[in-house]
Amino acid sequence: MQMEVLKIENLSKNYGPIKALNNLNFTVQSGQIMGILGPNGSGKTTTLGIILGILKQSSGQFTWFENRYEKHRLRIGSILETPNFFPYLNADENLDIIRQIKGVEKRTYDDLLELVKLKGRRKSNFQTYSLGMKQRLAIAATLIGDPDVVIFDEPTNGLDPEGIAEVRRTLQQIASQGKTVIMASHILDEVEKICSHVTIIKRGKLMASGNVGSILSTDLTLELAAADMAGLTRFLEAYGGIRNITKSGSIIECNAVESLDAAVLNAKAYQNNIKLTHLVSRKTRLEEEFLKITGDKKVN
Amino acid sequence: MLKLLKLEFSKFKKSTVVIMLSTMFLVFFPFSLAVGKIFDNFRTGLPTSDAFFQFTTIWEYLGYAGNWMVFFFLGVVMIYMVTLEVTHKTMRQSIIAGLSRNEFFLSKLYIALFISILATIYYTIIALTIGFINTPNPTIELAITNEWAIPRFFLMSFGYMTFAMMVGFIVRSSGLAVFLYLSFVLMIEKLIRYGHMELIGNKFTKFYPMKSIGDLMPLPLLKMADYIKTKDFDFSLLLSYKTASILSIIFILMFVGLSYISFTKRDL
Repeated sequence: MQMEVLKIENLSKNYGPIKALNNLNFTVQSGQIMGILGPNGSGKTTTLGIILGILKQSSGQFTWFENRYEKHRLRIGSILETPNFFPYLNADENLDIIRQIKGVEKRTYDDLLELVKLKGRRKSNFQTYSLGMKQRLAIAATLIGDPDVVIFDEPTNGLDPEGIAEVRRTLQQIASQGKTVIMASHILDEVEKICSHVTIIKRGKLMASGNVGSILSTDLTLELAAADMAGLTRFLEAYGGIRNITKSGSIIECNAVESLDAAVLNAKAYQNNIKLTHLVSRKTRLEEEFLKITGDKKVN
Repeated sequence: MLKLLKLEFSKFKKSTVVIMLSTMFLVFFPFSLAVGKIFDNFRTGLPTSDAFFQFTTIWEYLGYAGNWMVFFFLGVVMIYMVTLEVTHKTMRQSIIAGLSRNEFFLSKLYIALFISILATIYYTIIALTIGFINTPNPTIELAITNEWAIPRFFLMSFGYMTFAMMVGFIVRSSGLAVFLYLSFVLMIEKLIRYGHMELIGNKFTKFYPMKSIGDLMPLPLLKMADYIKTKDFDFSLLLSYKTASILSIIFILMFVGLSYISFTKRDL
């Protein structure tokens, strides 16, 4: 049975006249991989900072496991922004500090360091690590005490492509263990690849929240072109299951129901004396929905 | 309490700054008594070096040396233990890893208490060791005749530690915090007291935090001068031990309270 892991109600945070969060509401259920998506400065880190107790909200409230945060803080593992550890301590020593905070029995960290591929550098001081290694150590730290929820804030920020791939692989591995994952990111592709649910915020306001499927809808996006563009438009308007027909340069874009067969559409257009010179059918991407929802022309 | 102290130990056991300053305290503190040897060159009625190394006066001379050593070396260690956690954002990391703000604050308060206790034990051991070696015919009774020097030393140490902790929590930046800590004790409070004396008069000019804490372990020569002076005038340079102790306790509570408010009410 699904349980409400996090509930955010009317959360606001003001920095002087600036509203970093504006009556934010959303919930996260157990087992979800929730992506908090938004452009830089949209309030993602502020939201995480508040629900993790390092920032004070101006108004509103939140509950963890239907209770106060203090009661359940040891059930949550998280990284906020950059990895923060003692520079003169090695991986084992830094992880041991987190273990002591969590109040977990003394243990070795072989499995965790293996998972994040840091076993070979476990005795090196944190200050000698590359950004990717620091990030991976932070991921290992979040898993100490086997938390029910793990939170990652921009986990692939500043990493090279190899590092990004490694971190994503690790995140997917964590998610496959059935843990609830909350991940803030401004990288749409990342959220689309990893998350089951998404909450989109912009300038501190909730724009949309739900499972990736519902946000994406089950639409197809079609791109079409023909010598007779006016005739093509009329044909599409009369064709069942097609909507949002827009002309973009020499191409007509529209959304279609998932069951639409592009080959049948092509054949029917031909029967109507419309010879298509261009036909592309693809699933609607999160980026397009994001642009639609936030009203932005560009995304990061 | 033990859990939090252990956590602090794990955090700083390899810190070069903490190790270096603590070692300097441990080395310079007993050797600071060697200053007493200079006094053998004077023949002006000032005490000879014997007073520095023998019971019962060793408690006062070593205590005064400790006043500077604790203020400088251990005070800076305390500031560093707070501000390093801000600089490297490990304060945030500790909170998001599951430590409550109260626990984090208590861990710093406990370490201040722990360092003060260790410094006091060290002071006691040095005083007893040097005193027993250098005092002709030492007795236990003579050794422990010291006007509550041990609790006074502890209170003085804890006073500096909590003041350093407060500056660390409020200022947060290592360099600025150390600068403000040193300059407040060495200069700013003295200037305020001077201004107070000029504007309001002599009344209550001794009731300042660093003055109260410093007067728990004053310069013995000043105490002697005070004794001579108060015989003729209704004015003393130093606070009595009792007054200094009461005021120090009040100021310590203020330092702890302000540190707590500053830490718990602000974003990290």
